[in-house]
Amino acid sequence: MKQLKKYIFGVLFILIIISCTKSVSTPNDENEHESINRVELIFTDNGATPKSYIVEDPDGDGGNPPSRIDTIFVITGKQYSVSVKLFNISSGVVKEVTASIVSQAAAHELYFIPSGITAVIQKTDKDKNGYPVGFQSNWQFSTTGSGSILLKLMHKTALKGANDGPNVGHSDIQTSMPTIIK
Amino acid sequence: MALSISLAQSQKCKIVLSGVVVDASNNAPLDRAVVEIRELGLKFITDLEGHYHFYNLCEGNYTMVVNHISCDSITLKIQIQKNLIKNFRLPHSLNELETVSVSAKKDITLNTIKEELSNKIIDATRGQSLGEILKNVNGVAVLQTGSTIFKPVIHGLHSQRILLVNNGVRLESQQWGSDHAPEIDPFIADKFIVLKGAGALRFGNDAIAGAVLIEPKPLPKKAGKMGEINTTYFSNSRQYVINGMFEASPINLPEFSYRIQATYKKGGNAKTPDYWLYNTGLEEFNYSATAGWRKNRFNTEFFFSSFQTSLGIFLGAHVGNLTDLQNAIESSRPIQNIDQFSYDIIRPSQSVHHVTAKSKIQYLFLNDHKLNLVVSYQNNQRKEFDRALLSPRPELDLAMTTTIVDVNYESASSKNSQYSFGTNATLQENIWTGSRFFIPNFRSQNVAMYVTHAININKWMIDGGIRYDFKSLTTYRNKSDAVSSIDRTFGNPSGTIGSTYKINSKLKWLFNTTFAWRAPQVNELYVNGLHHGTASFEIGDPNLNSEKAVNFSTQFKYQYDSSWKLDLTIYNNIINDFINIIPTTPATLTLRGAYPTFKYIQTNAILRGVDFSLQKNITTHLSTGTKTALLWAVDQKTNDWLIQMPANRIEGNITYSFNTKYLKQSEIEFSWLHVMEQTRVLKNFVDYIQPPSAYNLLNLDFGTQIMFSKKSINFRITIFNLLNERYRDYMNRFRYFNDESGRSINLRCKIKL
Repeated sequence: MKQLKKYIFGVLFILIIISCTKSVSTPNDENEHESINRVELIFTDNGATPKSYIVEDPDGDGGNPPSRIDTIFVITGKQYSVSVKLFNISSGVVKEVTASIVSQAAAHELYFIPSGITAVIQKTDKDKNGYPVGFQSNWQFSTTGSGSILLKLMHKTALKGANDGPNVGHSDIQTSMPTIIK
Repeated sequence: MALSISLAQSQKCKIVLSGVVVDASNNAPLDRAVVEIRELGLKFITDLEGHYHFYNLCEGNYTMVVNHISCDSITLKIQIQKNLIKNFRLPHSLNELETVSVSAKKDITLNTIKEELSNKIIDATRGQSLGEILKNVNGVAVLQTGSTIFKPVIHGLHSQRILLVNNGVRLESQQWGSDHAPEIDPFIADKFIVLKGAGALRFGNDAIAGAVLIEPKPLPKKAGKMGEINTTYFSNSRQYVINGMFEASPINLPEFSYRIQATYKKGGNAKTPDYWLYNTGLEEFNYSATAGWRKNRFNTEFFFSSFQTSLGIFLGAHVGNLTDLQNAIESSRPIQNIDQFSYDIIRPSQSVHHVTAKSKIQYLFLNDHKLNLVVSYQNNQRKEFDRALLSPRPELDLAMTTTIVDVNYESASSKNSQYSFGTNATLQENIWTGSRFFIPNFRSQNVAMYVTHAININKWMIDGGIRYDFKSLTTYRNKSDAVSSIDRTFGNPSGTIGSTYKINSKLKWLFNTTFAWRAPQVNELYVNGLHHGTASFEIGDPNLNSEKAVNFSTQFKYQYDSSWKLDLTIYNNIINDFINIIPTTPATLTLRGAYPTFKYIQTNAILRGVDFSLQKNITTHLSTGTKTALLWAVDQKTNDWLIQMPANRIEGNITYSFNTKYLKQSEIEFSWLHVMEQTRVLKNFVDYIQPPSAYNLLNLDFGTQIMFSKKSINFRITIFNLLNERYRDYMNRFRYFNDESGRSINLRCKIKL
């Protein structure tokens, strides 16, 4: 029985040591998340003042739907140089993450898909394999009208090819922006 | 004349010797007893009911030897002239070193419907995962995620409604996830027992569907050493498995014995009949060590195991949003795929490390009553990697620790009565650190008390048990540096009563009634996040209450002349406040696109079904069998079917056994499986794709034992999906994306050293 008592006391001592963890009661901030929840399209028209159009969802996935979806206004006959910037908003802190995605350009591609309008869009930047990326592009509109542009950032690890369609890969961003052409 | 002599001899050599081996102290059947006819060199290992049988014996005098690990052996001379039923009652060994869990288990599961995997099935499935092994039990299906993740489903229920008891310790890990496979190396065990129904109260109140006992063989009791090497190769995924085991008890220290064991597994992409599935490889390394000490009335054992796995998730099944999912479904072949073989594991993937440490101690009092104490510690680290976006961190990163203390007092076995009582306490903590919130940190404490009693009255064997559990659950959340905690408490009794009535020597009737309950899990209460693998947004309900289940089950077992064996099980599981996850509106809108929303709700459910099996030995060499599992699962509130339930199935086999001079215990088996289309699906929910059609699978298996320099080598070749059938299964969550694996030629070799 002496052996039994020693054993029980030994076990209780180990249990007390094991049980004294504090980190369970100091959890991480669940509002901090590594997602892209703000997208900015910057339109530059031949030296004119650049115009920004923004979509954002500050509380990330779930919770409230995106709180801001700007309408893009453009004019026929002009050529726009469009650059895309991506941001992470976490606990109210806005952090640009474009460079992080650009550094993984060989596994990503941006698509701009018009709906109800006609647009000629040409991507001008390339990844290390010479495949298009889409952070820099030229846009032209020939007829007036209103519709939308679907913006997709496709994640293409091990899948990216020269002329992939917009359904190859997995969607990192998929958001539609109303567009008016005058 | 020669013909008549030959006929007379052949008639004389058709005698059947059969019977049952029981524990002399309480008449409980003894499984795994070895019955040997010494002169003929024939051995038979008794089944769960203690049965043994020998066919085609000739008249004569024989020496029979009966051994069991927990009992003294019996040697007996018998004379055989005609078919004979000979039963054996084995006395308990005084220097018994039965494991604490097993000794405690016997009384509590006496009248629970159970099925143990045969040695043949264990040998034929070596190298496969636990879920794949268990689906050989009638009434057990698997919930599958791709070709590498298998979770057992007993009578339609899975995850936290099933207890997995590994070497006497209930597995505590993130079992709530439908894509989280059990962290157990099946090579640890030489015994797999599935308890159907809620009768496993000894291990917890929440085994609403049943329990699986995974048990290693006891440590060696006699001085000596033994080793074993197992290797397996699966042609489909080019997966190889190697396992080694060594055990010994030193001659100069016979009180001490130990065992070490390790397994390494590496597999590549799986292949359907038409294409490879990219990123479906796995790599696994597991090891364990056990050491035991026994002296006088004091026995103790320490056990440590480590399970570590990395597995890829099929690239084409990891969708970004609902649009991706629809695109994937509309394509006849996976569009996000690279149709080639590779051992590489890239994101998306899972990485899991599970450690178990256990200490158990048994003290045998002078009156042969026993005190058992088991203390265990488990640490589970789970990392799930979606596609990397802004950093290489895992999106889901959970660390869970669990400590369980179990004290049990057991009366000495007597012929008519046995009782036990005990208490156990559990402390569990879970911490998340991934780049995305899914479930909160929590601390859970559970205290339980239980008592069991078993009695024998004439032809009746009756047992029962009651248990009371009290559970507290504290969750901790941090929203923009505002930390809050929520406390929930749950307390309920649970109980079981069962009986076996021996109608005659051939027919036995068992019935069991159990009341069990299960407190809601943290994910069901508080989950709030994106589940990428399923392209769904899951939302918990913090107001959920405990599930309460009343389970009735009955079993008829009929055995005629050792050549017919029939088993019929009928069950009815009524679960009030059944926690279910159902699709709801509106869809969740994010910058990644739209996701269907799923919410946890409570309803009342009934799951009823039938398991039936029949075996017939046609001749000495030829036998056949069939089994079927039928299930009806209904949501009583909506009067609709419950989602994600296994389809009805029927399977059969025909086996030819033979021995030659060089090939011992050889057999060739041809088996087929028919899985019906699941037509019992939700009426008011249109799934992305209709349940897959019914399918048939044919398999061929050949196993033999070769004696080589006094060592035995077991060799087995199995061709799975012989016809390379193209099919999908309703219980595979990846049925939306790809076909199941095609033909695989599996080679297995076991060498005893």
